[in-house]
Amino acid sequence: MNKKSSQTLISQKYDRKGLLSEIWQRIRTNPGAVLGMIVLCILMLTMLYGIFFISYEQVTKMNPLQRFKPPSAEHWFGTDEMGRDLFLRVIYGLRYSYSLAIGAVAMAFVIGTFFGSLAGFFGGRVDTIIMRTTDIMSSVPTILLGMVIVSVLGSSTLNLLLAIGITASPMFVRMSRASVLTVRGNEYVEAAQAIGMSNFRIVFTQALPNALSPLIVTLTSRMGTAILEIASLSFIGFGIKVPLPELGALVSSGRNFINPAPHITIFPGLFIVLTTFSFAMLGDGLRDALDPRLKK
Amino acid sequence: MGNEHITNNGLAAEGDIVLEVKNLVVHYVLKKETVEAVNDISFSLKKGRAIGLVGETGAGKTTTALSIMNLVPDPPGVIKNGTINVCGYDILKLKHNELKKVRGKDVSMIFQDPMTALNPVMRVGDQIAESVRLHENVSKAKAYERAVEMLELVGISGERASEFPHQFSGGMKQRVVIAIALACSPHVLIADEPTTALDVTIQAQVLDMMNDLKKKFNTALVMITHDLGVVAKMCDEVAVMYAGRIVESGTLEDVFNDTMHPYTEGLFNSLPNLENREAELEPIPGLMPDPTKLPPGCSFAPRCKYATEACSAKRPEPRKVSDTHTVLCTRYDDPSFRIKRRQSNEQHVS
Repeated sequence: MNKKSSQTLISQKYDRKGLLSEIWQRIRTNPGAVLGMIVLCILMLTMLYGIFFISYEQVTKMNPLQRFKPPSAEHWFGTDEMGRDLFLRVIYGLRYSYSLAIGAVAMAFVIGTFFGSLAGFFGGRVDTIIMRTTDIMSSVPTILLGMVIVSVLGSSTLNLLLAIGITASPMFVRMSRASVLTVRGNEYVEAAQAIGMSNFRIVFTQALPNALSPLIVTLTSRMGTAILEIASLSFIGFGIKVPLPELGALVSSGRNFINPAPHITIFPGLFIVLTTFSFAMLGDGLRDALDPRLKK
Repeated sequence: MGNEHITNNGLAAEGDIVLEVKNLVVHYVLKKETVEAVNDISFSLKKGRAIGLVGETGAGKTTTALSIMNLVPDPPGVIKNGTINVCGYDILKLKHNELKKVRGKDVSMIFQDPMTALNPVMRVGDQIAESVRLHENVSKAKAYERAVEMLELVGISGERASEFPHQFSGGMKQRVVIAIALACSPHVLIADEPTTALDVTIQAQVLDMMNDLKKKFNTALVMITHDLGVVAKMCDEVAVMYAGRIVESGTLEDVFNDTMHPYTEGLFNSLPNLENREAELEPIPGLMPDPTKLPPGCSFAPRCKYATEACSAKRPEPRKVSDTHTVLCTRYDDPSFRIKRRQSNEQHVS
């Protein structure tokens, strides 16, 4: 409260816009980012529609007479091998894909960036310990690592999130380490030491903000990979349980019928592409917006 | 912690020694060799006075400055010997936590290149305010207020506090850096070639401003430079460094008018003469010795036109010429020895 009021005091007195409003200003002028944002909003609204208006019964109800029907007015995306309406299933499944992907990538970002920037900044023994652990983690195939985590912790949505998050973090460790290494030698880091800032504070207020751009792009491009990973884990029975629809699981199950009924894979696949693409566009715009040097 | 500082502020009255470096030895230990960057230097500085550390590239000036902040990169830097005392703090013995409180508060530093010394993603106002908030228990708004004041003090309109470093010119960036360094009115300010990256007209402005601020805050200044003109303008005392040693030190008067050391003479001779523009420059032949293999005797002997065999045989000892003036040269064992510059000076006088 106190902090906030002094902040507004500063902004009023010195005609200083908040950082967020300034970033918003810059994102608004980037057509790609705006497009990405609009598509994401539509997808999110669709997901909300699924949460509020589509019931579990509707998406699991089988109808053997309606199998493999192509898209029509009655079934917008056609029906799957069990005669279930694909449109409803895709919309219903968005909630799992999105919440898991966003949650897991955010977790990976926080964990990975934290350790990665410490490794990059301090170097020496800290670096060795963190990086060798990362090496060990990434030498195990991600799916296998995910399986191990899920089978140790038990199969639940939360554990799936943990599994995907942990398997995705080595990449962020590497990226943030490399990124922090490039800015560590800059004089402003030394200058921050010279005015008596603590090392921890330097890492997170001086080094990391300057090393953020590549991380943001990775963050958004990683979203698509996460959705696919969730799909793979679901497919082998470690993720979302079978009757429940989930984008990746839908793609995997449709794979077997790709010749007679390609729509079963195409529509959920399209949603994955659309999601990944709009995240990437937004990420690109965000990277530009976060860099004050590119200000016009 | 607060009390300590208050008593300290009280102690550092006019004429008190605020910085004392004694027998400092700093080496950079590499895998195959050891760079002897600073070899046994001592100097002290009183409140409100300015000392100029002069010397060519690689003489150990910056390493000396970094040692005063205890910021020598380690590894490979090793402070082998010596004590550094800033306002009663034994800098080299302080723990990281205590060091944090001294840096920026009692001793501050201006870096060589203003282009890279500012964080590009932070507003300048916030960067100055940060320095205030690290050392003083004030609210965000108060600190920002101070930041704006500091900006105005260094001649930048306070409205620009909300801008980012790339929106400033080089000279203005250096002013911002100075504002950050002075934000907590430190007792000792180290300026590591503060004007090297600026063009000449801006140099003069920045130096004038530093001079004013130094008087205003009564800050002791360690001016690191290779520009003798800057020293003449800013400093009360001069220490000429060569290969990690102070070869000559004294008041501005002592060193500039009563030059004793052949190296100092060489520095002056390589400056253009304003009165006689036709006069040829007299460069010092050769290069600074490789700091990993310093000669056993006087480091300057191989380039010195007065050198004798005795010079390369043993290390010269500091010789006190007067209360303030010290020179490091074996040749003065011979009482009749005079370098050329002095001879002509004496002729002038007589």
